[in-house]
Amino acid sequence: MKKKLFYSAIIILTFMVSACGGKTDVVDSGTYEGTIKEVEAEKTEIYVETSDGKTLELYFTDETKLTQDGEEAQFSSLTEGQKVEVTVEKVGKRLDPKSVKILE
Amino acid sequence: MILSPSKYLNNMEQLPDFWRTEIWHPLTVHFPVAFLTLATIFLIAGYWLRKANPTYTGQILLIAGTIGAWIAVYTGGLADGIVSRQICDPTVLKSHENGAFTVAWLFSGASALVIGDYFGLLRQFRNWLRIGIIVLAVIGSGFLAYTGHLGATLVYQQAAGVYTPSDDCNEFIETSTEDRE
Repeated sequence: MKKKLFYSAIIILTFMVSACGGKTDVVDSGTYEGTIKEVEAEKTEIYVETSDGKTLELYFTDETKLTQDGEEAQFSSLTEGQKVEVTVEKVGKRLDPKSVKILE
Repeated sequence: MILSPSKYLNNMEQLPDFWRTEIWHPLTVHFPVAFLTLATIFLIAGYWLRKANPTYTGQILLIAGTIGAWIAVYTGGLADGIVSRQICDPTVLKSHENGAFTVAWLFSGASALVIGDYFGLLRQFRNWLRIGIIVLAVIGSGFLAYTGHLGATLVYQQAAGVYTPSDDCNEFIETSTEDRE
Protein backbone atom coordinates (compact mmCIF):
# COMPACT_ATOMS: atom_id res chain seq x y z
CA MET A 1 0.00 0.00 0.00
CA LYS A 2 2.76 2.42 1.07
CA LYS A 3 4.73 1.39 -1.99
CA LYS A 4 1.81 2.25 -4.32
CA LEU A 5 1.40 5.61 -2.58
CA PHE A 6 5.10 6.35 -2.98
CA TYR A 7 5.14 5.66 -6.72
CA SER A 8 1.82 7.44 -7.24
CA ALA A 9 3.32 10.49 -5.53
CA ILE A 10 6.28 10.40 -7.93
CA ILE A 11 4.00 10.14 -10.98
CA ILE A 12 1.70 12.92 -9.74
CA LEU A 13 4.72 15.10 -8.94
CA THR A 14 6.03 14.52 -12.44
CA PHE A 15 2.77 15.63 -14.02
CA MET A 16 2.62 18.67 -11.73
CA VAL A 17 6.16 19.68 -12.67
CA SER A 18 5.50 19.20 -16.39
CA ALA A 19 2.28 21.24 -16.16
CA CYS A 20 4.18 24.20 -14.72
CA GLY A 21 5.45 26.92 -17.00
CA GLY A 22 3.58 29.57 -18.85
CA LYS A 23 1.60 29.02 -21.98
CA THR A 24 1.43 31.85 -24.46
CA ASP A 25 -0.92 32.52 -27.35
CA VAL A 26 -0.51 33.73 -30.90
CA VAL A 27 -3.04 36.28 -32.18
CA ASP A 28 -3.55 38.08 -35.48
CA SER A 29 -1.99 41.48 -36.16
CA GLY A 30 -4.04 44.19 -34.50
CA THR A 31 -4.66 46.22 -31.38
CA TYR A 32 -5.52 44.56 -28.07
CA GLU A 33 -6.27 45.78 -24.56
CA GLY A 34 -5.11 43.87 -21.57
CA THR A 35 -3.30 43.76 -18.26
CA ILE A 36 0.43 43.27 -17.74
CA LYS A 37 0.91 39.89 -16.09
CA GLU A 38 4.68 39.94 -15.87
CA VAL A 39 7.56 42.26 -16.71
CA GLU A 40 11.00 40.86 -17.49
CA ALA A 41 13.16 43.99 -17.44
CA GLU A 42 16.46 42.33 -18.37
CA LYS A 43 14.88 40.95 -21.55
CA THR A 44 12.69 44.02 -22.15
CA GLU A 45 9.78 41.65 -22.37
CA ILE A 46 6.22 41.78 -21.06
CA TYR A 47 3.37 39.31 -20.81
CA VAL A 48 -0.05 40.81 -21.45
CA GLU A 49 -3.30 39.04 -20.61
CA THR A 50 -6.07 40.17 -22.93
CA SER A 51 -9.70 40.50 -21.91
CA ASP A 52 -10.52 37.18 -23.59
CA GLY A 53 -7.92 35.37 -21.48
CA LYS A 54 -5.11 35.10 -24.02
CA THR A 55 -1.51 35.64 -22.94
CA LEU A 56 0.71 37.59 -25.33
CA GLU A 57 4.46 37.38 -24.90
CA LEU A 58 5.94 40.59 -26.26
CA TYR A 59 9.62 41.29 -26.73
CA PHE A 60 10.26 44.98 -27.28
CA THR A 61 12.21 45.88 -30.40
CA ASP A 62 13.93 49.09 -31.48
CA GLU A 63 10.71 49.98 -33.28
CA THR A 64 8.38 49.51 -30.31
CA LYS A 65 6.84 52.82 -29.26
CA LEU A 66 5.98 53.00 -25.57
CA THR A 67 3.75 55.87 -24.52
CA GLN A 68 1.89 57.11 -21.45
CA ASP A 69 -0.48 60.09 -21.51
CA GLY A 70 0.54 60.76 -25.09
CA GLU A 71 4.23 61.05 -24.23
CA GLU A 72 7.11 58.68 -24.76
CA ALA A 73 7.77 56.52 -21.71
CA GLN A 74 10.65 54.39 -20.48
CA PHE A 75 10.44 50.60 -20.21
CA SER A 76 10.99 50.95 -16.46
CA SER A 77 7.59 52.61 -16.14
CA LEU A 78 5.89 49.28 -16.92
CA THR A 79 4.66 47.33 -13.90
CA GLU A 80 2.54 44.27 -13.28
CA GLY A 81 -1.18 44.90 -13.17
CA GLN A 82 -1.08 47.97 -15.44
CA LYS A 83 -3.71 48.24 -18.14
CA VAL A 84 -2.18 48.61 -21.58
CA GLU A 85 -3.19 48.81 -25.21
CA VAL A 86 -0.81 46.99 -27.51
CA THR A 87 -0.57 47.00 -31.26
CA VAL A 88 1.16 43.89 -32.53
CA GLU A 89 2.30 42.65 -35.90
CA LYS A 90 2.23 38.92 -36.44
CA VAL A 91 5.38 37.74 -38.24
CA GLY A 92 5.17 33.98 -38.70
CA LYS A 93 4.07 33.04 -35.19
CA ARG A 94 6.07 35.84 -33.59
CA LEU A 95 4.31 38.90 -32.22
CA ASP A 96 6.28 42.11 -32.69
CA PRO A 97 4.91 44.93 -30.54
CA LYS A 98 4.65 48.05 -32.67
CA SER A 99 3.24 50.20 -29.89
CA VAL A 100 2.38 49.86 -26.23
CA LYS A 101 0.19 52.47 -24.63
CA ILE A 102 -0.04 52.58 -20.85
CA LEU A 103 -3.68 53.26 -20.00
CA GLU A 104 -3.39 53.71 -16.24
CA MET B 1 55.03 34.92 -52.18
CA ILE B 2 54.19 34.89 -48.51
CA LEU B 3 52.61 38.07 -47.27
CA SER B 4 52.96 39.15 -43.69
CA PRO B 5 49.74 38.85 -41.69
CA SER B 6 49.76 42.58 -41.05
CA LYS B 7 49.25 43.17 -44.77
CA TYR B 8 46.03 41.25 -44.66
CA LEU B 9 42.72 42.36 -43.38
CA ASN B 10 40.10 39.76 -42.92
CA ASN B 11 36.56 40.36 -43.99
CA MET B 12 35.62 38.06 -41.12
CA GLU B 13 35.73 41.24 -39.05
CA GLN B 14 32.22 41.68 -40.40
CA LEU B 15 31.14 38.46 -38.72
CA PRO B 16 29.43 38.64 -35.35
CA ASP B 17 31.59 37.85 -32.34
CA PHE B 18 31.72 34.11 -31.70
CA TRP B 19 31.54 34.60 -27.92
CA ARG B 20 28.20 36.33 -28.07
CA THR B 21 25.59 35.82 -25.35
CA GLU B 22 23.41 33.26 -27.17
CA ILE B 23 26.42 30.97 -27.75
CA TRP B 24 26.79 30.20 -24.04
CA HIS B 25 23.70 27.99 -24.18
CA PRO B 26 24.95 25.45 -26.77
CA LEU B 27 28.34 25.54 -25.02
CA THR B 28 26.80 24.47 -21.71
CA VAL B 29 23.74 22.40 -22.63
CA HIS B 30 25.41 19.33 -24.11
CA PHE B 31 27.23 18.35 -20.91
CA PRO B 32 24.04 17.78 -18.86
CA VAL B 33 22.39 16.05 -21.84
CA ALA B 34 25.22 13.51 -21.94
CA PHE B 35 25.66 13.26 -18.15
CA LEU B 36 21.96 12.77 -17.40
CA THR B 37 21.43 10.23 -20.19
CA LEU B 38 24.44 8.22 -19.03
CA ALA B 39 23.38 8.60 -15.39
CA THR B 40 20.02 6.97 -16.19
CA ILE B 41 21.73 4.09 -18.03
CA PHE B 42 24.21 3.52 -15.18
CA LEU B 43 21.51 3.70 -12.50
CA ILE B 44 19.37 1.12 -14.31
CA ALA B 45 22.42 -1.09 -14.94
CA GLY B 46 23.46 -0.86 -11.28
CA TYR B 47 20.00 -1.80 -10.06
CA TRP B 48 19.56 -4.55 -12.66
CA LEU B 49 22.98 -6.13 -12.11
CA ARG B 50 22.92 -5.52 -8.33
CA LYS B 51 26.39 -3.95 -8.56
CA ALA B 52 27.56 -0.91 -6.62
CA ASN B 53 30.01 0.56 -9.13
CA PRO B 54 27.55 1.43 -11.92
CA THR B 55 25.20 2.86 -9.28
CA TYR B 56 27.92 5.13 -7.82
CA THR B 57 28.92 6.24 -11.32
CA GLY B 58 25.28 6.93 -12.12
CA GLN B 59 24.80 8.92 -8.91
CA ILE B 60 27.86 11.11 -9.56
CA LEU B 61 26.77 11.70 -13.17
CA LEU B 62 23.25 12.48 -11.96
CA ILE B 63 24.37 15.18 -9.52
CA ALA B 64 26.89 16.68 -11.98
CA GLY B 65 24.27 16.58 -14.74
CA THR B 66 21.64 18.23 -12.53
CA ILE B 67 23.99 21.11 -11.71
CA GLY B 68 24.75 21.34 -15.44
CA ALA B 69 21.02 21.34 -16.24
CA TRP B 70 20.43 24.42 -14.06
CA ILE B 71 23.42 26.16 -15.66
CA ALA B 72 21.93 25.33 -19.07
CA VAL B 73 18.55 26.71 -17.94
CA TYR B 74 20.31 29.95 -16.93
CA THR B 75 22.25 30.29 -20.20
CA GLY B 76 19.06 29.36 -22.09
CA GLY B 77 17.32 32.29 -20.40
CA LEU B 78 20.08 34.59 -21.60
CA ALA B 79 19.78 33.27 -25.17
CA ASP B 80 15.97 33.50 -25.05
CA GLY B 81 16.09 37.29 -24.73
CA ILE B 82 18.00 37.51 -28.00
CA VAL B 83 16.70 34.75 -30.27
CA SER B 84 13.01 35.31 -29.43
CA ARG B 85 13.21 38.53 -31.45
CA GLN B 86 14.61 36.70 -34.49
CA ILE B 87 12.88 33.34 -34.85
CA CYS B 88 9.54 32.86 -36.60
CA ASP B 89 7.83 30.60 -34.06
CA PRO B 90 8.67 31.51 -30.44
CA THR B 91 6.00 29.05 -29.21
CA VAL B 92 8.53 26.27 -29.87
CA LEU B 93 11.02 28.16 -27.73
CA LYS B 94 8.43 28.44 -24.95
CA SER B 95 7.83 24.67 -25.04
CA HIS B 96 11.60 24.12 -25.04
CA GLU B 97 11.92 26.38 -22.00
CA ASN B 98 9.07 24.65 -20.14
CA GLY B 99 10.53 21.24 -21.00
CA ALA B 100 13.94 22.34 -19.70
CA PHE B 101 12.45 23.37 -16.35
CA THR B 102 10.65 20.02 -16.13
CA VAL B 103 13.90 18.15 -16.83
CA ALA B 104 15.83 20.21 -14.28
CA TRP B 105 13.21 19.72 -11.55
CA LEU B 106 12.80 15.98 -12.17
CA PHE B 107 16.54 15.35 -12.02
CA SER B 108 16.79 17.68 -9.01
CA GLY B 109 14.22 15.44 -7.31
CA ALA B 110 16.26 12.35 -8.22
CA SER B 111 19.46 14.04 -6.96
CA ALA B 112 17.75 14.98 -3.69
CA LEU B 113 16.79 11.33 -3.19
CA VAL B 114 20.40 10.26 -3.94
CA ILE B 115 21.74 12.74 -1.37
CA GLY B 116 19.09 11.64 1.13
CA ASP B 117 20.12 8.02 0.55
CA TYR B 118 23.80 8.91 0.99
CA PHE B 119 23.17 10.53 4.38
CA GLY B 120 21.05 7.58 5.49
CA LEU B 121 17.79 9.50 5.59
CA LEU B 122 14.69 7.37 5.07
CA ARG B 123 16.88 4.29 5.61
CA GLN B 124 13.82 2.07 6.05
CA PHE B 125 12.67 2.99 2.52
CA ARG B 126 16.07 2.47 0.87
CA ASN B 127 14.89 0.08 -1.83
CA TRP B 128 11.92 2.29 -2.71
CA LEU B 129 14.21 5.28 -2.84
CA ARG B 130 16.47 3.59 -5.36
CA ILE B 131 13.52 2.62 -7.55
CA GLY B 132 12.14 6.15 -7.12
CA ILE B 133 15.44 7.62 -8.32
CA ILE B 134 15.35 5.38 -11.40
CA VAL B 135 11.69 6.23 -12.12
CA LEU B 136 12.44 9.97 -11.93
CA ALA B 137 15.57 9.56 -14.07
CA VAL B 138 13.70 7.56 -16.73
CA ILE B 139 10.82 10.07 -16.91
CA GLY B 140 13.39 12.90 -16.84
CA SER B 141 15.26 11.28 -19.74
CA GLY B 142 12.03 11.15 -21.75
CA PHE B 143 11.50 14.88 -21.20
CA LEU B 144 15.20 15.43 -21.92
CA ALA B 145 14.87 13.76 -25.33
CA TYR B 146 11.74 15.80 -26.15
CA THR B 147 13.31 19.07 -24.94
CA GLY B 148 16.49 18.32 -26.88
CA HIS B 149 14.43 17.66 -30.00
CA LEU B 150 12.71 21.04 -29.60
CA GLY B 151 16.10 22.71 -29.15
CA ALA B 152 17.33 21.05 -32.33
CA THR B 153 14.27 22.24 -34.30
CA LEU B 154 14.93 25.77 -33.07
CA VAL B 155 18.44 25.63 -34.49
CA TYR B 156 17.90 23.60 -37.67
CA GLN B 157 14.47 24.91 -38.68
CA GLN B 158 14.58 28.46 -37.34
CA ALA B 159 18.33 29.18 -37.18
CA ALA B 160 18.06 30.28 -33.55
CA GLY B 161 21.32 31.96 -32.57
CA VAL B 162 22.88 31.02 -35.90
CA TYR B 163 24.66 33.48 -38.16
CA THR B 164 23.57 33.12 -41.79
CA PRO B 165 26.42 33.86 -44.21
CA SER B 166 25.82 36.21 -47.13
CA ASP B 167 25.04 34.68 -50.53
CA ASP B 168 28.51 35.40 -51.90
CA CYS B 169 30.32 34.42 -48.65
CA ASN B 170 32.32 37.61 -49.04
CA GLU B 171 32.87 37.94 -45.32
CA PHE B 172 35.02 34.78 -45.38
CA ILE B 173 37.45 36.09 -48.01
CA GLU B 174 40.76 37.57 -46.97
CA THR B 175 41.77 40.74 -48.78
CA SER B 176 45.05 42.57 -48.58
CA THR B 177 45.18 46.15 -47.36
CA GLU B 178 46.59 47.10 -50.75
CA ASP B 179 43.53 45.65 -52.50
CA ARG B 180 41.28 47.66 -50.26
CA GLU B 181 43.15 50.88 -50.89
